[in-house]
Amino acid sequence: MLLAIAVAALSIIIMAVDARLNYLSQLRQAFIGGLHPIERIANIPSELIRDANKYFSAHSQLVQENHMLKQQAFEREVKLQRLNTLQAENEHLRSLLGGDSPTHPRATLGDISHTGRDPFRNVVIVNRGGQHNIQAGQAVVDSKGVIGQVTRVYPFSSEVTLITDKSLSIPVQVERNQLRAIAFGQSGNTLDIPYLPANVDIKVGDKLVTSGMDGVYPPGLAVATVTKIEQGPESTFAKIICSPIAEVAYHLQLLILELPDSIETDVSNLEPIKEESTAKKVKKSNKKRTRSHVSP
Amino acid sequence: MLAPSLLSVYASLFFALLFQLFPWTGQGIIFRPDFMLVVLLYWLLRTPYLCNIGTAWAVGLLVDLATGSLLGQHALAFTLTGYIALSFQRRLVLFSAFQITLYVFGLLFFGRTAILILKLFAGSEALGWLYFWPVITGTLLWQIIRITFGSISRPKNRENR
Repeated sequence: MLLAIAVAALSIIIMAVDARLNYLSQLRQAFIGGLHPIERIANIPSELIRDANKYFSAHSQLVQENHMLKQQAFEREVKLQRLNTLQAENEHLRSLLGGDSPTHPRATLGDISHTGRDPFRNVVIVNRGGQHNIQAGQAVVDSKGVIGQVTRVYPFSSEVTLITDKSLSIPVQVERNQLRAIAFGQSGNTLDIPYLPANVDIKVGDKLVTSGMDGVYPPGLAVATVTKIEQGPESTFAKIICSPIAEVAYHLQLLILELPDSIETDVSNLEPIKEESTAKKVKKSNKKRTRSHVSP
Repeated sequence: MLAPSLLSVYASLFFALLFQLFPWTGQGIIFRPDFMLVVLLYWLLRTPYLCNIGTAWAVGLLVDLATGSLLGQHALAFTLTGYIALSFQRRLVLFSAFQITLYVFGLLFFGRTAILILKLFAGSEALGWLYFWPVITGTLLWQIIRITFGSISRPKNRENR
């Protein structure tokens, strides 16, 4: 009985320390590092199945895929030629106007190793970690668009919270009319944009891209498309539901973008952004930001 | 039938951890039972002299560290569940296998609810009824463990041997 009370009290203290203060992340990192070999053992069966599937994939399928990829590469090369000239022109114009030239962040390629142990959190675990110079706060993208943000870094892996997670928010811009807003993750694999007036100029099918206001996500990456807008007389705000463009569920590779130099130094002081308990705080501060954006 | 010893307790807990760490993907993850909790309850009910509340707490902390949840969440839930499990442990000798299964179902449900409450305190969203699937799959897992490791309802056999 005494032991039960003692350990129960101890675990409550640990919870409070872990939620409010940031002392235990070191312990967690060390433990996950030590757990790495066991995790590798646990991964063996699924890796075997995956490799066997690869081995037995039919020849015709590979030929078809090869053909498709060649065609895609050709189409992209044509587009790329135009892009290069446009980029040169853009940089020239920017230098004429005295603007900063846009930066292209470097990136690390990572594989999704699994989708997290807790089915009720929108996270994926990537096989790149502290040993590969990954930092908490880095943006993660795939070939289609933004996936999310690195929230926890372990020695050999890191945890990426998806943009659809309730605790994550991302500054966006409507591609059509450059309207700035902040999209919040919502349960059910969607995002939503609150705090926009009911008469806002957003239509179903509009594409949202990152605005780059936060300095974490580089500007111009695809985030989501607007799928549903509810504008009722009972509310002064429009209810805008969007679905993410990136396809996390369909492939295993993703890119982890390096943080821009300007905030690389600050991040060490920040606690790993958006843990479960700090979600509310983050939302509150974002709310403030949205308001100042919306009212010109 | 697995002879109860300190080694078999820790070895089975280690294998439960392996299953817990197994990279589950897709929709099936909703049905994943709490391997660690079920194995822990088995040893708590069968051999309380090898495995006590302290073990329950340590196992819970291990699960917290491995799953990346708030540290202490599973530790507290496992401690409370273990305490309830142990407080009726001596009476279980008189129970039939079916009654013990019902008891374990209740314990798993309690443990899951405790974790849910702690999660809600930590700022999680409401999770819906799907969250309780592991209680049912955990009860099924209990049957498998009971059959392979040996029943707990007849500890007198051991003394007669």
